[in-house]
Amino acid sequence: MTKLALSCLCCSLLLAGCSLQTVKPWERDILAQKKMQLDPYPNDSYLDEHIYYSKESSSGGAGVGGGGCGCN
Amino acid sequence: MQLNNKPKQVRHSLTLATATLLGSVSAPGYGATADDWEIDSSVLYYAEDGRVSAIEPVVRARKTIGDDEFLSFRLVVDSLTGSSANGAISTTSAQTFTKPSGDATYTTSANKTPLDPSFHDTRVALNGEWEKPLQNNLKGIFGANVSKEYDYTSLGASATLAWDFNNRNTTFTTGLSYNLDTVEPVGGIPDGLTAMPTTAAVEKARLGDSDDKTVVDVLLGVTQVIGRKTLMQFNYAYGRDDGYLTDPYKILSVVTDASTSTLAGTPYLYEQRPDSRVRNALYWKTVHQFEQDVVNFSYRYYWDDWGITSHTFDARYRYELGGGHYLMPHVRYYLQDKADFYHYKLVDGDIPRYASADYRLGDLSTTTIGLKYGMELSENSEFAVRAEIMKQQSRGSGTTFPDVDAMILQLNYSFLF
Amino acid sequence: MRYPIFRFISSLLLALAICQPVFARPAPDFTLPTDGAPVNLQGYRGKVVYLDFWASWCIPCRNSFPWMNAMHQRHADEGLVVLAVNLDQDSQEIQRFLEKYPAHFTVAYDPEGRIAELYQLKGMPTSYLIDRQGDIVMSHVGFRQGDTAPLEKQIEQLLSQ
Repeated sequence: MTKLALSCLCCSLLLAGCSLQTVKPWERDILAQKKMQLDPYPNDSYLDEHIYYSKESSSGGAGVGGGGCGCN
Repeated sequence: MQLNNKPKQVRHSLTLATATLLGSVSAPGYGATADDWEIDSSVLYYAEDGRVSAIEPVVRARKTIGDDEFLSFRLVVDSLTGSSANGAISTTSAQTFTKPSGDATYTTSANKTPLDPSFHDTRVALNGEWEKPLQNNLKGIFGANVSKEYDYTSLGASATLAWDFNNRNTTFTTGLSYNLDTVEPVGGIPDGLTAMPTTAAVEKARLGDSDDKTVVDVLLGVTQVIGRKTLMQFNYAYGRDDGYLTDPYKILSVVTDASTSTLAGTPYLYEQRPDSRVRNALYWKTVHQFEQDVVNFSYRYYWDDWGITSHTFDARYRYELGGGHYLMPHVRYYLQDKADFYHYKLVDGDIPRYASADYRLGDLSTTTIGLKYGMELSENSEFAVRAEIMKQQSRGSGTTFPDVDAMILQLNYSFLF
Repeated sequence: MRYPIFRFISSLLLALAICQPVFARPAPDFTLPTDGAPVNLQGYRGKVVYLDFWASWCIPCRNSFPWMNAMHQRHADEGLVVLAVNLDQDSQEIQRFLEKYPAHFTVAYDPEGRIAELYQLKGMPTSYLIDRQGDIVMSHVGFRQGDTAPLEKQIEQLLSQ
C-alpha cells in the first residue's frame, strides 16, 4: 500500500512513467557511494543554508536519513 | 535545553560519549578499523558588492565510536564586516541616521540607498551530534547547539528518529528541535514604530536591554529508494517562532504622501514585526546517477502566517572528469512573495500595527550560479573549491529596492584517518 | 557487569535476538568461482561452514574480515571452513578492498547475485552457520563487534559435534 502510494506520487512529480523497484540488499553498491547520499557535502549545505537564511525569509525543509548502503 | 524528562540521563550519556571520544577507544576484539575519523574543513568568503562581507571557517569532525554509532562536532567562526541596508529609502537629499548605540550618527548621500556601516560582528557556533542505533531498523540522532555573537546568543537541542522499512528501501524520519535565542542589541531594544532620533542628543524610546524568542521545529519525512541509482526524499517541516522577532536595527522611512519621497516630520520609525510566526515547508529532493555522473535536484515550497510564500529550486550536476576529479555546476533559483507587513515606505498618518522595510521580507528573487571543482588527493583525502555568484532582485511593479550582488568562494579540505 | 555469567547470558540472549530461530534446513547448494579452483558447498559436508555474503561497499564488512581471519586461524584444523561470497559488480573494487583487508579464508565471487537471490538475503552482510550435516542452523544479518563472542561460541559448539 505504501509502495503504491509512493509510486503514484513519484510518477506524478516526474511527469513521466517511473518505476519503483525494490532494490535488493546486495544491489546497493551505487547508493552506498558518498556522492549518492542526501547530504554529500555537509559543509557546503551548512554554509549555503546559513547564507540564504540571512538573505531570505524562508528556512527549513531538508532532512536526514535514508538511502546509503542499508547495511547492519 | 533538554528535550526529555530525564536531563541527568542524557547528560550522563553525553558525558560518556564525550569521554569515549576524547579518550582512546578500542572496540573489543579484533582491531578497530582504520578511518575512525572523518574531518571536513572549509573556509567561506562571502562578499556583497559594496555591502557586507564575511569570512567563515568551518570545521566538522565525525568519529565512529561503536557499531553504527557516531559522534560529530562542528565549529564555525563567522566574521562579518561592512554595511547593510537599514530599511530607509533613498531621497533626493542627504540623510542622517543615528547608530544603534545612539552615541553617533552616519550620513547617506543624496540618491543613495541608506546603509548602516556599523556592522562588525563575530559569531562562534558549536554544534554536537550523537547518532546511535536504537533497535534493529531504528536509529536516533541527538544534537545540541550553541552560538554566540556580541549581541545574540542561541542555545538549542534536537532529536531525530529514522525508521527503515521494506528491506531498507523506505525510511521514515521524524525530528523535533527547540532553540532559545536571546538578543541584546547595541543601544537596547527600540520601541517598535517609534521615532529613530536623527541626532545623538535625543535618545530613542527603549523597551529594555534584551529580549528573547523560542523556535520549535518539527520534521516529518520519507526517503524512498526508487531504483539502484535513484533516491528521493519528501519532507514536511513545521515551525513556530515566539517572542521578539523584530530586527532592532531596521527602520522605515515615513513620507508625507504616497506619491513622493519627501520625508515627514518624523522621518524614520523603528520597525515592528509580529511576535509569533508559524512556518511550513514541503520539500522534495532527488539524487540520481547516470553512468558515473550524479544529479542532485531539490524543490521547496514554503509558506507562513506572515504572508510569505516562496519556491526554491536547487540543482547540482556532478560531472566526473575521471581520475578522481569532478566539476559540479550549481544553479539555484528562489522566488519570494512579500510579508503582509512589508512596506517599502510608510505614509504619515497611516501607520499600521506591524511594518518592516527590510528588503529580505519583500517580493524578491535570488538567482545563484556556481561551479565547484573537486579532486581526490589520496584515497583518504579530497580538496575542493567552489565559486558562486548570487543576485537578489526585487520583483513586481512599483518602487523597488536595488539589486544585491554577492560572490561566494569556498575552499574545502576533507580527510579520513 | 559484576558477574561474567550475566554477561554470558546477556550475550547469548542478544545473539538469539538477532539471529534467526534454530529451525535447521538444508543449505541450498551452489558452485562458485574463486581465485583458484571453484568451490562447491556440498563438497564441505562433514565440516562446519561459516558462509558470509559481503561486498566492498559494505562498511560493516570491513570490521568482519579481521574476525573471520581469526576464526579461520583458530578453528580451521578443527574443521571450520570460512567461505566469504563477494557480491561486487566491479572487480577493481574487490581487489582494492582485499588489499586493505586481506582474507586468509576462501573468497568466492557471485557478481550477478544468483546465490544471494537463492539464499534470499535480507541485508548486508549476511552470514550463515552450516553444520557438518549441511543444514543451516543460524542466519545473521549485519556485523557488530558485540556479535562476535556469541557467534564464536556457536561455532565451537558445532565443531564439537
